[in-house]
Amino acid sequence: MTDIALQTRGLGVKYGNFHALSEVDLQIRRNSVHSIIGPNGAGKTTLFHALTGRVRPSSGRIELDGRDITDTSDDDRVRLGIARSFQVTSLFPNLTLRENLRLAAQGRTPWQALAPWRRAEANAEALDIADGVIDRLALGKVTGRLAGELSHGQQRRLEVGMAMAARPRVILLDEPTSGMGIDDIEVMKDLIRDLGHDHTVLFIEHNMSIVMNISDVVTVMRLGRKLVEGPPAQVRDDPEVQRAYLGNMITGDIA
Amino acid sequence: MNPLDKPFAQLALVLVTVLALPLFLKSGILATEILIFAMVVAACNLLLGYTGLLSFGQGIFFGIGTYVAGIFLTRWSVPVPLVLAGAAILGAATATLVGWLSIRRQGVYFVMLTLAFSQLFYFMAYTFSGVTGGDNGLLGVPRPAIGGNALDGPWSYYTYVAVCFVVIFALLVMVTQSTFGRTLLAIRENEGRAAAIGFPTKLFKIEAFAISGAVTALGGALHAMLIGVAPLSNIEYHTSELILIMTIIGGSSSLFGSVLGAGFYLLLADALSTIWPRWLLLLGLVLVAVALFLQGGLWGLVVRGYDLIFRRDRAPNTSAEEH
Ligand SMILES: Nc1ncnc2c1ncn2[C@@H]1O[C@H](COP(=O)(O)OP(=O)(O)OP(=O)(O)O)[C@@H](O)[C@H]1O
Ligand SMILES: [Mg+2]
Repeated sequence: MTDIALQTRGLGVKYGNFHALSEVDLQIRRNSVHSIIGPNGAGKTTLFHALTGRVRPSSGRIELDGRDITDTSDDDRVRLGIARSFQVTSLFPNLTLRENLRLAAQGRTPWQALAPWRRAEANAEALDIADGVIDRLALGKVTGRLAGELSHGQQRRLEVGMAMAARPRVILLDEPTSGMGIDDIEVMKDLIRDLGHDHTVLFIEHNMSIVMNISDVVTVMRLGRKLVEGPPAQVRDDPEVQRAYLGNMITGDIA
Repeated sequence: MNPLDKPFAQLALVLVTVLALPLFLKSGILATEILIFAMVVAACNLLLGYTGLLSFGQGIFFGIGTYVAGIFLTRWSVPVPLVLAGAAILGAATATLVGWLSIRRQGVYFVMLTLAFSQLFYFMAYTFSGVTGGDNGLLGVPRPAIGGNALDGPWSYYTYVAVCFVVIFALLVMVTQSTFGRTLLAIRENEGRAAAIGFPTKLFKIEAFAISGAVTALGGALHAMLIGVAPLSNIEYHTSELILIMTIIGGSSSLFGSVLGAGFYLLLADALSTIWPRWLLLLGLVLVAVALFLQGGLWGLVVRGYDLIFRRDRAPNTSAEEH
């Protein structure tokens, strides 16, 4: 097996005539924490859409563990071990928190769920996984609450939990800390670092203190292209990156 | 969750309905018709309420069941249980095809496609009059017989339909409670997320269509035996519309709401039509009132009434663990 979990070659995505992503070559090392940064509209979310199969690339290819998945559907990719969270919270608002996670755990084996006589509780494994994620996210007090009635911070944590419940090998997190308070951000930072021990983590983040502290590799994107890539310290001091951000975005220090 | 939404409460309500109708209604035909439509409307609810699919194609499946009964009972005297099974299978197959093609589009275009199929099947039935009897339909559809006696009395056939209805309703409750049914709810809530966590959402929608089509066709077959005819009107667009209207009046958040919707519509239509020949106009007003003031349908009203009487002490948001 190669050391590369996920790889793209010449990846491009077009929305109509607009090139949202062009010629992106990425190599994500196994069990590394790899962050993607870049100004608004750089194509970061679009890259995630392409990696998870939500949008079709207009060019290039995507490989998971050396296997071409460019034409694999989004739900098939979950079974191959890719799961994601969304930048804009996307839950099942009228279902309970635990039911949200149970569904996410069941999504790995969806064919079981096609049997209209099978009870949801019969899948003890999915319930165990849901409960495990609940513990890890410290959401035990609100398991029976409807997802739409949770606080913003809790919804953001559940959003990440939905990806974890799929037990992926590669986990993609799109701005997991967006809109969070300072305390929640610290918890999320520890969680992402922790996930890096047994997952390949790819995450998009605007909070530079997190990016610089927990990433093994940082990729900077701009205008749909890869601008710079390297270890945090090197990226932070890169003059091109400073220019792309007009010097006002990279503020976090390495602790 | 309201206690009335629990599966056993729903089944109890259905049993009470089946036992109460003969006590309150003079006409066994009307009572039987209510049960048949209740079944068909519950099947429509599986699509509308549980999957979020507004299908104008339910009349297709109802009509197909009607013709299966008409053809196999008048020409070949096939045993009724086989006819019912055949109707369900053909209904499921047709619904799979219609569903598979329609869910390729979303929203308005999905609705348009089901509507188009509805027209298509109507004209097919009209055109192939050698098979369907065209405008005249198929006459002389016999009732089932038990122990050599045909169930010709209105209440004896009612009993037959009541048994079918309770079994089918129980099966539909099972479907909605299953992991399949709960996945449908997830798809209705947020299809994009359902796909992102790994569910092939199209397949789930098609299966919902198939189940809905099977039950609807079964209802159509029972209906042909009730009125003794397999009429062209059962496959008309108007039947689709009727089923949808009943579903919406009843409320799409619970299966028993569908029983209420079918019962309310048919009883009201029966009462109004004896008062005034232009009764459809009054019915129109009732529908406007429901759409304006009763968004949860009749079931929403029942649940609100229940909460008012029995759950005053409970604040709306304290509903504890549900699993
Ligand atoms: N569905 C779409 N149709 C057309 N254009 C789109 C679509 N989605 C995104 N875009 C455009 O593609 C570009 C990249 O968007 P994307 O969401 O990938 O950026 P991003 O790097 O995630 O930005 P942000 O930091 O604001 O989340 C933007 O210019 C955006 O306006
Ligand atoms: Mg984005």
